[in-house]
Amino acid sequence: MTFIEPFTDMVPSFFGMLNQGPLTLTIFLHTIIILPMFFIYRQEKVRLEREGKQ
Amino acid sequence: MSNKIVSVWTDNNFWKRSAAWITGFSAILLIWLTFDTLGQITQGTDTDMQKDAKGLYFSKRIPSATVINYKIGYEYSDKRGHEVPTINGKEKFFGRDDYSEEEAAALLHLGKLGSQAKNCMNCHTLLGNGAYYAPDLTKAWLDPKWKLMMAITQKKTREEAMAEFLQHPSKYPTHSRRMPNLDITAAEAKGLVAFLKHMSAIDTNGFPRNFGKKDITLRERSAK
Repeated sequence: MTFIEPFTDMVPSFFGMLNQGPLTLTIFLHTIIILPMFFIYRQEKVRLEREGKQ
Repeated sequence: MSNKIVSVWTDNNFWKRSAAWITGFSAILLIWLTFDTLGQITQGTDTDMQKDAKGLYFSKRIPSATVINYKIGYEYSDKRGHEVPTINGKEKFFGRDDYSEEEAAALLHLGKLGSQAKNCMNCHTLLGNGAYYAPDLTKAWLDPKWKLMMAITQKKTREEAMAEFLQHPSKYPTHSRRMPNLDITAAEAKGLVAFLKHMSAIDTNGFPRNFGKKDITLRERSAK
């Protein structure tokens, strides 16, 4: 049992690669969606603090 | 930075920007997926087919309609972990193995229209669509049970036995749930069998799971 299984799709595609395991697509989508939200959160926090200061 | 307590969660701007990011990203992802799918659903040509026939496997997920000129197998692939359709040389289909791309496509089209007109999906499943009241037809062409039907209908080939059964299903009861007589003509039956033969050659990533594993793989392996 290997952690990363070999890519065996008939027609190779980026989404095929993301769909090789039960959680691979989910983890990818969460990374790409949630991480920028942390970034947005931080930016907004800084902005609110700055506005509160004035 | 000040120590003033601020709540980002109640801030409209945070939610607006997050929503914009998620909506925008998802839209781009869906457009990308749409184009990415084209490679998976594009049908191969007869030229591809002739090239593939020198080997064992199909290069396109959906082979050309001329696949009806070839003998289709279903072999377990260790690499992929499921059965994969294979090409095993030429095979006569209703006495011919030289159907042109146009002829074969017309036959398949007739079969497709027939399957829709007779509402096969009301009881059967085709490529994951339909019902499970009657057997799954995705790989029906490869079903070893047609050999029994050849004996029952006294036909020499699988396609003739299938066509005979489709025209007179009530004459050959095989199951406690009997297929009704759908007034399928001989021409329609030929089209339907071609349609089913082509469908069995579509690489469905092993769907339906475990189809004929015991019957086909073991029998073909022991025959080698």
